[in-house]
Amino acid sequence: MQFFFEVLIGGLLAGVMYSLVALGFVLIFKASGVFNFAQGAMVFFAALTTVGFASMGVPFWLAVALALAVMVALAFATERVVLRPLVNQPQITLFMATIGLSFFIEGIAQLAWGANVRALDLGIADEPIEWLMDRTGMNVSKFDLVASGIAAGLVAVLAVFFNKTRTGRALRAVADDHQAALSVGISLQKIWVIVWMTAGFVALVTGLLWGARNGVQFALTFLALKALPVLILGGLDSVAGAIVAGLIFGASEKLAEVYLGPYVGGGIESWFPYVLALGFLLVRPEGLFGERRIDRV
Amino acid sequence: MLYRETGQFKTDYAADQQLFPIRQDRIAIAVLIAVAFVAVPIAALTPGLRAVIDFNYWFNGVLIPFLIFSLAALGLNILTGYAGLLSLGTAAFMAVGAFAAYNFELRVPGIPMLLSFVLAGCVAAVVGIVFGLPSLRIRGFYLAVATLAAQFFVVWALTKFAWFSNYSTSGVITAQKIVVFGLAVDTPVKRYLLVLAIVSVMALAAKNLVRSAVGRAWMAVRDMDVAAEVVGIPIMKTKLLAFAISSFYCGVAGALYAFAYLGTVEPAGFELELSFRILFMVIIGGAGSILGSFLGAAFIVLLPIFLDLSANGVEHSFGLALPSGLVSNLTLIIFGALIVFFLAVEPLGLARLWQIGKEKLRLWPFPH
Amino acid sequence: MTALLEVDDVSLAFGGVVALQGVSFDVREHEVRAIIGPNGAGKSSMLNVINGVYHPQRGTVAFKGRKRRRVDPHDAAAQGIARTFQNIALFRGMSVLDNLMTGRNLKMKRGVFAQALYVGAARREELEHREKVEAIIDFLEIQHVRKTPVGRLPYGLQKRVELGRALAAEPELLLLDEPMAGMNVEEKQDMSRFILDVNDQMGTTVVLIEHDMGVVMDLSDRVVVLDYGRKIADGTPDEVRRDQRVIDAYLGVTH
Repeated sequence: MQFFFEVLIGGLLAGVMYSLVALGFVLIFKASGVFNFAQGAMVFFAALTTVGFASMGVPFWLAVALALAVMVALAFATERVVLRPLVNQPQITLFMATIGLSFFIEGIAQLAWGANVRALDLGIADEPIEWLMDRTGMNVSKFDLVASGIAAGLVAVLAVFFNKTRTGRALRAVADDHQAALSVGISLQKIWVIVWMTAGFVALVTGLLWGARNGVQFALTFLALKALPVLILGGLDSVAGAIVAGLIFGASEKLAEVYLGPYVGGGIESWFPYVLALGFLLVRPEGLFGERRIDRV
Repeated sequence: MLYRETGQFKTDYAADQQLFPIRQDRIAIAVLIAVAFVAVPIAALTPGLRAVIDFNYWFNGVLIPFLIFSLAALGLNILTGYAGLLSLGTAAFMAVGAFAAYNFELRVPGIPMLLSFVLAGCVAAVVGIVFGLPSLRIRGFYLAVATLAAQFFVVWALTKFAWFSNYSTSGVITAQKIVVFGLAVDTPVKRYLLVLAIVSVMALAAKNLVRSAVGRAWMAVRDMDVAAEVVGIPIMKTKLLAFAISSFYCGVAGALYAFAYLGTVEPAGFELELSFRILFMVIIGGAGSILGSFLGAAFIVLLPIFLDLSANGVEHSFGLALPSGLVSNLTLIIFGALIVFFLAVEPLGLARLWQIGKEKLRLWPFPH
Repeated sequence: MTALLEVDDVSLAFGGVVALQGVSFDVREHEVRAIIGPNGAGKSSMLNVINGVYHPQRGTVAFKGRKRRRVDPHDAAAQGIARTFQNIALFRGMSVLDNLMTGRNLKMKRGVFAQALYVGAARREELEHREKVEAIIDFLEIQHVRKTPVGRLPYGLQKRVELGRALAAEPELLLLDEPMAGMNVEEKQDMSRFILDVNDQMGTTVVLIEHDMGVVMDLSDRVVVLDYGRKIADGTPDEVRRDQRVIDAYLGVTH
C-alpha cells in the first residue's frame, strides 16, 4: 500500500512537470489561437543557452538572466517575422509555421552551443526526503518536490494573471478573434509579444527543471509531442485543464509503468497517450475543461 | 516571343481540357520525357561520360531518392493539399508499404514484383482508411493528432511484432533483389528506369484524378465541407477515399524506398522526422499541385547536397575547418525559415512561383 | 397545383435560443415563394431546415410527398433541392468552372479507377457535363471569368457563380438566401432577370429570402412573413403588404 502511494506521489509530481510543459502551450493557444509546436524547441534553447553561458564562466544567476533576455528577443523576433505576416490565417497554417519555427530554433541552438548533452545542476539533490523516509518509509525525491513547488507557484501566478488582470482579458480576446480584438483597440502586436515572452519565461523554467532532471539534450524538443495528449485531455485553452490533465497523465503513466508494465511489455507509452487523446477527441473534443464551440451556418 | 498562344485556338472542350493545352508546353514535356527516359540512361552507359561524371552517385544519391520522395509527396499532397486533411503520419504509411512488399515477396513464392508493390500499396491504403476514420468527426489541427497516433503506433507495431521483419533483431529487413518480367533490375540505371516508369504512371493517374470529379470533391471538402455536403458530395466517402489513395501512393513510395533505394530498412527509419520532411516538400513545393510535389522533393533532396558541396568548397578554398554538424544545422535553419517564408508569402509554394514565371514568359519581352 | 414542399409545424431551438416556433406553410410547384421578415426572424434557419442543415426539434418537412423530420443535406441534394447561402459558400480555391462542375457531382457516375485513367467513358462524362455547365455559364453571362479562381472575383460575380452552382444540379427546388444582398440596382436587375428566367424557362420552383421589398413584390407569386420565429402572414404580395401585423412587425410595434 505504501509502495502504491510512493508511486502515486512520484507520478503526481512528474505530472506537475507535465502541467508546466502544457502550460506553455496553453498560454500561446489562449492568446493567439495557435498550437505552438516550437515550444519544445524553445525549452531546449532556453536551457541550452543558460548552460552555455554558465559553462563560459558566467555566474549562474546571470546566465539565467541572459537566457531570459535571449528568450525575450526571440519573442519579439517571432512576433515580427512569423505572426505578423500570418495574421488571420487558419489555425492549420499557423501550426505548420510553428513546425518550421521549431526546426529553425533547433538549428540555431545547436549551431550556437553545439549538440552535446549538457548536465545542469540546480543545487537541489535528487535524493529522498529524509524525514518522510524515516517516518513512513516512502521514497519521494527532494528534487521532485521542489520542482513541483516551483511549477505550482508559476501556474498559480499565471492563472491569476489570465483571469484577473486587464492584460489577461485582452489576451483572451485576441485568442477568440483577431479582427474583433483589433477593432476594440487591442494592439495585437503588443499582446503577442507579451504572450511569447511569458511563454519564453515558462520555457526557461521548464527547461531548467527538466534539464536538471534529464540533462539538457535534443530530446527536450520533443516535449511538444509529449504535451499534446495532455492538452487534448485538458482542453487546449484551459489553464486548469493543463494542470489537471498533467497530473492525471503523470500519475497514470507511472502507475501503468509499474503495475501494467510487466504484462504489456515496453514501448506502448510511445503511442498509447495518443490513442487515448484520439478517443477523447471523438467523444469530447474540447477536453475536460475547454470551451465548446458552436458554429453557425 | 517564345511562349505565345497566338494561332492556337481550341474548338472543342476536349481540346480545352487537355493536360497541356499550349503547344510549347507539349513540346517541353516531350523533350523532358525523352531526356529522362532515353538521354540520361544512354549517357550513363557511354564510357566517355562515365569517366567524367559519377553516374552511380547521381542515380543512387539524387535521382532515385528524388523520384521516390516525389511519389510520397504526391501522396501527402493528395491528402493535405487537395483534400485539406493535415497528416503527420506519412512515414508510417511508407513503412507499411515497405514491410508489406517485403512480406509478400517473402511469403508468396513466385509473386511478380510489381504485383507485390501494388499489393503493398493496397495494404497501406487499408491502414490509411483505418486511421482516417477519425477525420469524419475531427478536423484541422486535431486531425494531425490522429495521424500522429498512426505514426507512433505503426512504427511500434512493426518493431514489436517480429513477424513483420521475419524475426530479425530490431526489425531490420533487407529487401529482396528486384526482378521484373524476368529481368534483374540490379544496376543503378535499371533501378532508375524502373522507379521513373512507376512514378510517371502514378503521377499521370494523380493528375487525372485531381482534374476529375473526385479531385473536385476533395477540394470542395477542403474549402468548405458544409457547402460540399449541400451540393451533394458524400463527405465520408470523399475523405476516406483521400486517405486510401494517399496512403496507396505513400505505400508504393515506401516499397520503392526499401527495394530500389536503401536496400535495408528498419521501422526506426520511418520516424516522425521523415513525415515532417515530406510535409515540408508539400509546403515548399506547393500544396494542391502535382508539379509542386516534384519541385518540393527536388528542393529538399538537393539543398543538403548543395550545402555540403558549398561547405567543402569553402573549406578547401579558404583552408578552414568548419565545425561538424554545421551543414545539418544550417539545413534545419534554412528549412525552418523557408517554411515560415512560404506560408506567409506564397502559400501555394514553388508551383505558384513557376506559374507566375510562365505567365511572365508569355508576355516576354513585354513587361505587361 | 400540387404542393411541392410542405412545412408542417416546424420548431427549432439552439440551446435556449428559439429560432422557429410552429411554422407551417406550403410551396406549390413552379411558383416563386418569398420568405420575408425583420432580422432575426428565423428565415435562414427555415431554409436550413428545408435542406437538412439544421434538424428541427418538432414538425416535419415533406418534399414531393415524402415527409421527414431529419434530412441529410446530401439526401436533400439527391432529391433535387439546391441552395445558395447568405454569406457565399463557394469553394474559394477552385475556378468558376470547377465550382459549377461540383454542382454536377451527383450526376457523375464513373468510378475512381476510370477517372484515374481519363479515357473512354470517364472522359466522355467529363466533357458531357462540361457542356451542360457551359450552358449555365452562358445563361449567367460569366464566360469571361470561367477559369478565374473564385476567391478573386468581386462580390456580385461570386453571388452569380453561387447561383450557377445551384443551377448546375438541375434542381426542382431552388432555395436562395438573400441572393441580392449587397448588390447595386443594375446587379439586382440582372439577378432578378436570371431568377425569373430560371422559374419561367426551366420550371424550377424558387423559395427566396429577400429584404428588398420591390424585388419581393415583383418576383414572387406568394409570400410568407416570419417574425420572432413565428409565421405572421401568408398570401400574395398585395395581401401581405396590407396586413396590419406585417406593418407592425416591420415598424417595430411591441407585441
